[in-house]
Amino acid sequence: MTQPEAAQEAIEYCYEQDWTDGLPVVPASRPLVDKFLAQTERAPEEVIGRIEQVGRDCTVELAAINAAMAGCKPEYFPVVLAAFEAVMADRAARGGGWQSTSGPAPLIVVNGPVRAELGFNSAGGAFGPGFRPNATVARAIGLIVRNAFGIRPHVLEQATQGLPGRWSICLAENEEESPWEPLSVECGLGEDVSAVSATLLRTCEYVDNRHTQDPEQVLADIADTMARTGAVIFREAPSGLVLGPEHAQMLAKAGFSKADVKAWLVEHVGRRRGDLRRAGKSGLTENGVRHADDPAADDEAFERFMSSPAQLPVVVAGARNAAMSMVVRVFGLWSGKAVPVGGKA
Amino acid sequence: MPEAILDPTGGLRAVSEGAAVLTPNRLRLAGATIGLLSNTKQNAALFLDELGKLLVERHGVAAVTPTVKTVFALPVPEDQLAQLKETCDAVITGVGDCGSCSASAVADGVAFERHGVPAAVICSDAFVVTADAMAELRDAKGYHYATTAHPVAVLNPDEVRKRAEEVLPEVVSILTTAS
Repeated sequence: MTQPEAAQEAIEYCYEQDWTDGLPVVPASRPLVDKFLAQTERAPEEVIGRIEQVGRDCTVELAAINAAMAGCKPEYFPVVLAAFEAVMADRAARGGGWQSTSGPAPLIVVNGPVRAELGFNSAGGAFGPGFRPNATVARAIGLIVRNAFGIRPHVLEQATQGLPGRWSICLAENEEESPWEPLSVECGLGEDVSAVSATLLRTCEYVDNRHTQDPEQVLADIADTMARTGAVIFREAPSGLVLGPEHAQMLAKAGFSKADVKAWLVEHVGRRRGDLRRAGKSGLTENGVRHADDPAADDEAFERFMSSPAQLPVVVAGARNAAMSMVVRVFGLWSGKAVPVGGKA
Repeated sequence: MPEAILDPTGGLRAVSEGAAVLTPNRLRLAGATIGLLSNTKQNAALFLDELGKLLVERHGVAAVTPTVKTVFALPVPEDQLAQLKETCDAVITGVGDCGSCSASAVADGVAFERHGVPAAVICSDAFVVTADAMAELRDAKGYHYATTAHPVAVLNPDEVRKRAEEVLPEVVSILTTAS
């Protein structure tokens, strides 16, 4: 048997076991997985995540097997462990997020020297594809959820439609072209610390504004994108923002700090009650769930969709070749946490 | 060669076929107190309230105890389970009308039964696969729950009453019939 045939047979074996996300995986062998385990001081049997309702744990060993299958290099493994911890810091991810009819995806953000060391893309095409670390670290998380937690589509995973790129959104922050402090620094870590942050997304939507140099017009364009009624299910509709460097630099040049951008958006992202009424969402239950039945009549009243800048992640990523940014729709609450790669802050 | 490929799942769990789940002490509805454990999903509390009214009117149930499980995606907290066990003769829980809440409603039903409390779970029929999968995870393959047509969240109050009426016989059967 020639080697390609052996590889093909091994790949098909993984499909037969229902271990893949639809794409071919790298069959994990003991020697390969041991190379992953050698990248961390953590014991293979250490439990690094538990989904209470399905009673399943993920160990360092299982994370290593799934990271190997995802196509990671062994040296990516500390980033996978940090990404997994960051994802599990999201309350929804620990709860029923993976089973949700919303079908959310994790947004994974990498900061610090590890970006250059491992070749993470932070510039053009930041949302992918095309770069092995970005693609495989995100995929590793997806395979862990599928295999270690056993949450598979059409069974315990009940996404109504899901999200393009559900297990593929890992971007590195373009710290070099950002006018502001990196996300990890905002989360309390040092400037030279490699770290990973994450939150669950409903989707992301572009803002293409190459039309004005007025910062408030650009922010108004972003706010309008954040404020569409389809995204408003509860009292609040949290969003985040991945600014292209051109937008970020233009805002900074006009005197906006990152905190100023957040404050402006918190103030302006919302809709008039009449807009919500037309969408059948002007009523609110005691639990903060929107519905159609609203006894209040003031259609001009403006409802803000975000109450706190603390829940609005702002990241700079992408190329400085057009004024484009991405609104990201946060599924639950952004944890505001950055996890150091290798566990050392 | 396949023997050399490592398993990324941590191994398949053995699932016992039809493990004894139901408490053998099924209920006499007359004079009973029934806990109504709603899960904050839209219309769930109303649905259970309507069921409660019907049980009082038609089956001699003495009292109902509405309770809310605040985190719909997770199993009922231990203290809430203990409290319902202490104060109620049986529990009706739901409505499982989403991926995570239907699964956790079934997990709760199994937990109540294993604590000796007859329980009727209501899920919408879009989620039978996930509900059945959760029953298997709890070693309760084939666990019987009541279904109502999906969706529940968008129904108006009259439609919810109709649904409660429709599912009532199934709920009564689950609570009172020994397996």
